[in-house]
Amino acid sequence: MHESLWRAVAVFRVGALCYAGVLIAGNFDEYPHPVAGWLVLAVMAGWTAASIYGYAAPQRRGWPLLVADLAVTAGCLLASRWVIGPAGLTEGLATLPVAWIAGPVLAWAVSGGRRRGIVAALVIGATDLVVRAQYNQSAFTGAVLLLLAGVAVGHVARLAVDAERRLQEAAEREAVTRERERLSRGLHDSVLQVLALVQRRGLELGGPAADLGRLAGEQEAALRALISTGSPATAAVDLRTLLGRYASTAVSVATPAHPVVLPATAAESVVAAVGAALDNVRRHCGPDARAWLLVEDEPEAVTVTVRDEGPGFPADRLAQAAGEGRLGVAQSIRGRLRDLGGTATITSDPGSGTEVELRVPRPVQRASIR
Amino acid sequence: MTRVAGIRVMVVDDHPMWRDAVCRDLVEAGYHVVASIGEGAQAVRLAPAARPDVVVLDVQLPDLSGVEVIRGLLAAHPTARVLMLSASGEQQDVLDAVKAGATGYLLKSAASAEFLDAVRRTAAGDAVFTPGLAGMVLGEFRRLATAPADVDTPQLTARETEILRLVAKGRSYRQIAELLVLSHRTVQNHVQNTLHKLHLHNRVELVRFAIEQGLDKDEK
Repeated sequence: MHESLWRAVAVFRVGALCYAGVLIAGNFDEYPHPVAGWLVLAVMAGWTAASIYGYAAPQRRGWPLLVADLAVTAGCLLASRWVIGPAGLTEGLATLPVAWIAGPVLAWAVSGGRRRGIVAALVIGATDLVVRAQYNQSAFTGAVLLLLAGVAVGHVARLAVDAERRLQEAAEREAVTRERERLSRGLHDSVLQVLALVQRRGLELGGPAADLGRLAGEQEAALRALISTGSPATAAVDLRTLLGRYASTAVSVATPAHPVVLPATAAESVVAAVGAALDNVRRHCGPDARAWLLVEDEPEAVTVTVRDEGPGFPADRLAQAAGEGRLGVAQSIRGRLRDLGGTATITSDPGSGTEVELRVPRPVQRASIR
Repeated sequence: MTRVAGIRVMVVDDHPMWRDAVCRDLVEAGYHVVASIGEGAQAVRLAPAARPDVVVLDVQLPDLSGVEVIRGLLAAHPTARVLMLSASGEQQDVLDAVKAGATGYLLKSAASAEFLDAVRRTAAGDAVFTPGLAGMVLGEFRRLATAPADVDTPQLTARETEILRLVAKGRSYRQIAELLVLSHRTVQNHVQNTLHKLHLHNRVELVRFAIEQGLDKDEK
């Protein structure tokens, strides 16, 4: 996009050169030094070609070319005073380069934005006023037009540069994402398999090796969760990804194969409630106690069940504990679910473990990722 | 207990270390390992000659998808039963493989005894479910139920749903049998039925797809 701005400046210069040529040919008879007029036109043509060539390559667009551009243009403008003479200018003849003087203003603006455009416009505008040596409305209008052109083109050039940079950043980000996906595939094929093998062999060997196996298993689960969380944080999240972090050798996580979508805040509350339930399992049944999570996705509600095979407790104990005002975990889980408009049901029998069932109603407007 | 000797097993896994470990376990336990292969296409090609009773299949192979391998295997050697192994995390692949005809699924992290038992049960024609697989099958039936109305959408009976939920929450068939006052065999049959329904639905869908695409017509 920036390149096409440079091409537009080149087109402008050629057009302005043609217009200047037409005017010089028409006013030829009225100039006191007509031959010098043709000479100036030749210089302008030469510089038009040279500047188009110069600005074509990014590495040549430095200060030398910009300053030379400004100097040559100002020179051609100043030459008008001698070629046309004060009398001709006062009568209202145009300067020799006419609109061609806007060339360096546009070039400065494209090269460095509004500020450079303004600087070039001020230099050329002042030169123009000096050449005309009269300060009427039309003289000032020329200078103001130059200034506006400098500001406008500079602004557009800055936008073009920004847009290009953003496009490049997006491309880089996409490349990074793709690299990450490639890495995760690689990890999946090698590291995760080895960790699973270590876990399996370790558990068979027993003793200290079993601990190593368990560690390998936990790392496998952690690594898998790490490489699978690729989706950006949006208003709706997949509950499976969030609950996946609880999966380990001790905790089985069963979910549908399709995304279970909930609003982010609701999902976080559910995940926290599940975490509290699992902490409770560990506290009452030991750190290696097994637990099972089941996520069920129905049109009207999402249900998450946490089950353990610990000692359990008599059905009336919860009510009794509530009566005595000590019901920490159950209360915090129930509270979270109540805030979501859902329910938490805790059932237990001595000898058959405890089941915590969390039910979250779906918002009426159902977000679908499927 | 089914006799293990003489059960022909084919192991398909692209990870050599894994393959060797699994084969060693199988041989030590008395199974007859007829082939140990790293690629899906090769497994399909060798199946008629190797005549495996059970194919232990990694869900993710480098050359073919799990679904393609299972379709190929069952076409080449229809009496084979497929037990899938995965390093977990690739749920959709597992579900697709089950719909394509696999009858069992186990995590690679399962203990050796659990794995050997799963191979034995698969050979005997039983469905081998992990809690994870039960959760996916439940989810799939619910998804089918909410999908645009269809005449032949399969549905679970209330009993089947109840049993699948119990499996997904980690109960063994024996525990479920006690809880619901059923025989172990009946629980087994209910679980198996859910798979048959998925297989059947998958086949109906394939046929419908073929008709829609005009694949049933002769090429002119």
